[in-house]
Amino acid sequence: MDNNLLQQFNDTLADTVERVQASLVQIVNGRGAGAGTIWHPDGLIVTNAHVVRGRHGLHVVLSGGQRLPAAVIAYDEPLDLAALSVEAAGLPTIALGDSRQVRPGQWVMAVGHPWGVIGAVTSGVVIGAGAQLPEVGQMQPGREWIALDLHMRPGHSGGPVVDSAGRLIGINTMITGPDVGFAIPVHVVKAFLKERLGTQKMAV
Amino acid sequence: MSDILQTLSDALADAVQQAGRSIVRVEARRRMPASGFVWSADGLMVTAHHVVEHEENIRIGLPDGSQTKAALVGRDPNTDLAVLRAESGGLTVPVWAEADAVRVGHLALAVGRPSGQLQATLGVISALSHSPNETHFFAQTDVVMYPGFSGGALVSASGQIIGLNTSALMRGASLTVQTPTLRFVVESLLRHGRMRRGYLGVGVQPARLPKALAEQIGQKSGVLVMSVEPESPAERGGLFMGDTILAVDGQTIENGEDLVSSLGGGRIGQSVAVRILRGGQVQELQITIGERG
Repeated sequence: MDNNLLQQFNDTLADTVERVQASLVQIVNGRGAGAGTIWHPDGLIVTNAHVVRGRHGLHVVLSGGQRLPAAVIAYDEPLDLAALSVEAAGLPTIALGDSRQVRPGQWVMAVGHPWGVIGAVTSGVVIGAGAQLPEVGQMQPGREWIALDLHMRPGHSGGPVVDSAGRLIGINTMITGPDVGFAIPVHVVKAFLKERLGTQKMAV
Repeated sequence: MSDILQTLSDALADAVQQAGRSIVRVEARRRMPASGFVWSADGLMVTAHHVVEHEENIRIGLPDGSQTKAALVGRDPNTDLAVLRAESGGLTVPVWAEADAVRVGHLALAVGRPSGQLQATLGVISALSHSPNETHFFAQTDVVMYPGFSGGALVSASGQIIGLNTSALMRGASLTVQTPTLRFVVESLLRHGRMRRGYLGVGVQPARLPKALAEQIGQKSGVLVMSVEPESPAERGGLFMGDTILAVDGQTIENGEDLVSSLGGGRIGQSVAVRILRGGQVQELQITIGERG
């Protein structure tokens, strides 16, 4: 019918992905690569706790290929969140979205390094959000998640889940089936950073 | 230009929200609750047959968050449909998507409410399977059937309900019972409490027709009668083992599914013309269709 519409759709997807990929990093932990998201231009990077668990000699590889040593500055095993610091300035940060306004059916994309494919994108929709999701509701009562209808694979961990405008709404964290993934809502990440790091590195 | 993605995203979420006004949570089994949707404003609901494990104490979670009780009106395992009557009124009836408005490749959302809140997954219509009459209108999709989505709705991009989703009829694929079959089964369940299906009393398998005959009558295969049950409508009507059924009441029969769909409840008790191939000759028998018990 209107081929232009699908073409516009594709172009917009690609443009949005490019912006997100700029703030995506690899976290090299000795056994493979997890993903991370640049939160602050001065080198604050957010990822999953399980990506950095028990590892020394962590390195972060920026989207341009630059490899920097990284230090874990905050870590929360139950939340599966960690914050890393690298010596850098002027890094491209990700725009933040509002994970409290997430709607079932809305378009989302997850970016990461599934099976080591750097910066790979997968898209789908939000299944639901909150603390009452069937598969995870019993695991940690009261804990909030975003359930995602998209192909999530090992290597997505720690990478961003973004809305249709490329704004961060969650951090990829867990796979429960070939087509269902779970993300930590960005408001939970904000609270974690605020509690552990205070506000000085939180110019968001 | 850059907001096309935002527009799409909003449209998808709006479609979920619109259809969601009619989508309910159904608690009728021990494991996790499932989904269903409103059929009439005065309390009729449809859900999947296989999620109604206990017929006592069925509870419905309405879109406004309130709870109500429901009774089972009837169920049809063949199409995995069940009809419930809830003790409430003033419900929002969905806008239905007619079968001819649904095309392979269209975007569609599976929407359920197993947790009380709306949940959705997105996919496309993969295939459509439509019988000549309304008994067998199915859509196959690649939507993920999240736990508790059975009995929920397949929703079009404009928020209309395409049909009822079930994960029980076909392994590894998501099937949707489309509106013509939904109406057909629900009306039968409301009128008779069960699904009336015609009964012939034969065992059949598809059989390729001789080339000359196939060209002559414009049909490649029929169904070969492998067995005839004693005292059945088929026996009384004069069908024999070895006959090949070509048509029932003018409806071409090329395989077992065609035969099943030709035996809809509407023909029960009627004498219909059955066209067969016997000894190389095409003949016609009159058979009075019985009712399957």
